Amino acid sequence: MAKSTRVIKKVGVLGASGNMGSLSGGIFAQADIECVFFARSLDKATAGLEAAVGQARSDVLRKYIKAASYDDLEKEIPTCDWIFEGLAEDMAIKNEFFAKIEKLKKPGAIVSTVSSGLSIRKMGEGRTDDFRKCFMGTHFYNPPGKLPANELIFHPDVPKETREFVYDFCEKILRRVNIITEDTAAFAGNRIGFQFLNEAAMYAEKHGVDKVDYLLGPYTGRALAPLATIDLVGLDVHKAIVDNVVAHVKDERIDTYKMPAYMQKMIDQGMLGRKAKGKGGYFNRDAEKNKTTLNIADLTFSPTKKVKIDWVEKTKQAIQDGMYERAIELIKTAPGVEGDLVRHFILGYVAYSFARIGEVTPEADGIHGIDRVMSSGFSWLPPSGWVDLFGGVKETVAMIEKAGLTAPAQLKGIKDKGKICRVADVSKFLIGR
Amino acid sequence: MAKNKKVYILGGYQTDFARNWAKEGKTIQALMHEAMDGAFTATKIDPADVGSIHVGNFAGELYTMQGHLGAMTVNYSEKLRGVPTSRHEAACASGAISTLVARTEIEAGHYDLSMVVGIEMMKSVDSKTGGDFLGTAAWYDKEAKGVQFPFPKLFGRLGTVYEELYGLKYDHLAEISAINYENARNNPLAQTREWYMNKQHALSRGTFNMEVGGIIHITDCSQVTDGAAVTFLASEKFAKRYAKAHGLKLKNIPYIMGWGHATAPMLFDIKTEEAYAAKKEGKYILPHTRKAIVDAYKRAGIKGPKDLDLVETHDCFTTSEYAAIEHFGLTAPGEAYKAIDNGDIRIGGKLPFNPSGGLIGAGHPVGATGSRQLLDVFKQLTETAGENQVEGAKVAAALNIGGSATTNVVHIVGVDKGK
Repeated sequence: MAKSTRVIKKVGVLGASGNMGSLSGGIFAQADIECVFFARSLDKATAGLEAAVGQARSDVLRKYIKAASYDDLEKEIPTCDWIFEGLAEDMAIKNEFFAKIEKLKKPGAIVSTVSSGLSIRKMGEGRTDDFRKCFMGTHFYNPPGKLPANELIFHPDVPKETREFVYDFCEKILRRVNIITEDTAAFAGNRIGFQFLNEAAMYAEKHGVDKVDYLLGPYTGRALAPLATIDLVGLDVHKAIVDNVVAHVKDERIDTYKMPAYMQKMIDQGMLGRKAKGKGGYFNRDAEKNKTTLNIADLTFSPTKKVKIDWVEKTKQAIQDGMYERAIELIKTAPGVEGDLVRHFILGYVAYSFARIGEVTPEADGIHGIDRVMSSGFSWLPPSGWVDLFGGVKETVAMIEKAGLTAPAQLKGIKDKGKICRVADVSKFLIGR
Repeated sequence: MAKNKKVYILGGYQTDFARNWAKEGKTIQALMHEAMDGAFTATKIDPADVGSIHVGNFAGELYTMQGHLGAMTVNYSEKLRGVPTSRHEAACASGAISTLVARTEIEAGHYDLSMVVGIEMMKSVDSKTGGDFLGTAAWYDKEAKGVQFPFPKLFGRLGTVYEELYGLKYDHLAEISAINYENARNNPLAQTREWYMNKQHALSRGTFNMEVGGIIHITDCSQVTDGAAVTFLASEKFAKRYAKAHGLKLKNIPYIMGWGHATAPMLFDIKTEEAYAAKKEGKYILPHTRKAIVDAYKRAGIKGPKDLDLVETHDCFTTSEYAAIEHFGLTAPGEAYKAIDNGDIRIGGKLPFNPSGGLIGAGHPVGATGSRQLLDVFKQLTETAGENQVEGAKVAAALNIGGSATTNVVHIVGVDKGK
């Protein structure tokens, strides 16, 4: 098949005042591509431009980005080769702009959305043939300057040539780590990541916030403990993602996806996490700026407790010294309720990830697409990295079954005896804290 | 008379220089463990075969409160207990100095296999504190005490010397910086591979590229890096056995053809006096750097840069690479700009400099740099350098510098293939 002759010289960024719009647009500008940043006002678009400059740490980016308001759409969109949509995660708002864009865009110009989980097919409904043939999800992770993951969700009408062009362009020019993803709720990364986060939120009711974040902390292969992660993304965003999954998905662990009732009460009270200054989320600061932790029963805060469990501390020490085999052995043999809890979550993550092969990512990609999104998008130790660390498929399957979980056929069916994970340096995800 | 005439490099391992080990909550022990593990895995060498271990490290005591790094290597495996170990310090040339000692031991016939571990963890402290620690590579009391970021200022002075003696256009320094970053983008282990950087940025001025020492701006500086690089040096006897066991041909295994080692007076004031004197005689302005290079050429039995296929040089700042270009003899004194203008130092040019991205692009974990350079040379000569492969490379040089061009070490490495 002939190689595409497309050239991307100019990109229009919608919603460029928002975090994802501005920083994603900045990634195009960093590839020396002329960008027009659109926002509701010129001032807001200029603020987006400044964010992109800050991300690149270079004033040169100003040369490539022009700030504009939506009044300029008619003038600018007809000369854009790619329109990158970074508007609010609201189908009505997106549709309003898509209706305008499809009339202005030149035929063949690419339109992509940075949506983190809304249906691409639905966004294409009622649009022109040309729009649908050029429409896809390019889900960058936040912040894209640090997290290179890019979930690519093509509308079914996009021809092969365009798919190949976009894949190559994102990889070689935008230096993204591509993951071909199916058009399923929350796509791949958020689908898997928020199962873990939501289940952690459920367990916090029984075990307490401090203990859950201590047990599932960075030493279990993540940059940030789960409840602190929910505080970072915001409880409102968490709710939008899990509700979307519950509404559209039936899988073997959907019971762990239902948001606990206390979280709704928190949202009702404006306790949305870090963004709700003063109100907090799972964690807050008191008048003296000391860290406090949520009491789930009455949604009050108490001074954060230092939890210390011998085997957890030993595991952290082993990681600090680079003795990863010892760290894994300690996790495998950890005693008591706490040991069971940690294994339940790690093995649950592994099992849930493998079970999604063929559903959220193409079967032909095996676990590798999911590995890429969890490492490059979430900064979590990729699921097959755990399988390798645990000693292989057979050992991991036995551990999953012993933990009372179901080992998926996609994992059991792996015949290769060697290492599975292709992500380099998985040890970097084992954090010594 | 040397017992072993040829000392071979059997390969090794480099950690990803983009990693921040302090942020990962890890100690220098973890960095060393991963680097050694990577090296044993990559080369399939049995730890039981290691005759001696040499660690190159500049300031572990300052950055991590951990000294005695030679002995720490034994933590890796019970098989290493009893092996003689030592740690060597020569500022940024610590890696090359360790290699010199390991090579000497093998030449003398004391051991058949030596492991060289270059290592530095620098992100454990803030940049101001780190800058002060680096000042100990100069004459601290006279050149660094109370000075914020002393080294950019010292290498800025090298720029001033060039300006005064021959004239110097900033555009040429910007080009050196841009080429290093460009090469680093294709190096999967380079610290800056995902950074936004090009010549336009090097030429820009403002908060993101401010002046840090005379002509030196942020884009002219090498990086603050956590990293380690390991190489294995072997006698011909061991290399033959290794080649046979791994289905390799001895003629395809790189060996050290020659080396040079020369020390300049520590104070930059004296180096400046020497530079002015050298100019009057039409000689290169850093006589001791030049001596190390010429000695290496002689020992390797080569005439000069036309016999080299690539150079990994010590671009701690763009001015040091500018000086290296001419000191290797690629141009006459004061004419490095000609090689830059001609594209000679680019991959595909007459003599590519730093296909790895060098210290500016690949990163500069001080004590590891000398080992990293030799490992990159090894990759080039074994045609495993990936996208930055210099086609048909058979002979390569590495220049590792400590302080303000005070300790100068050059290695010339080659393969016999095609001979």
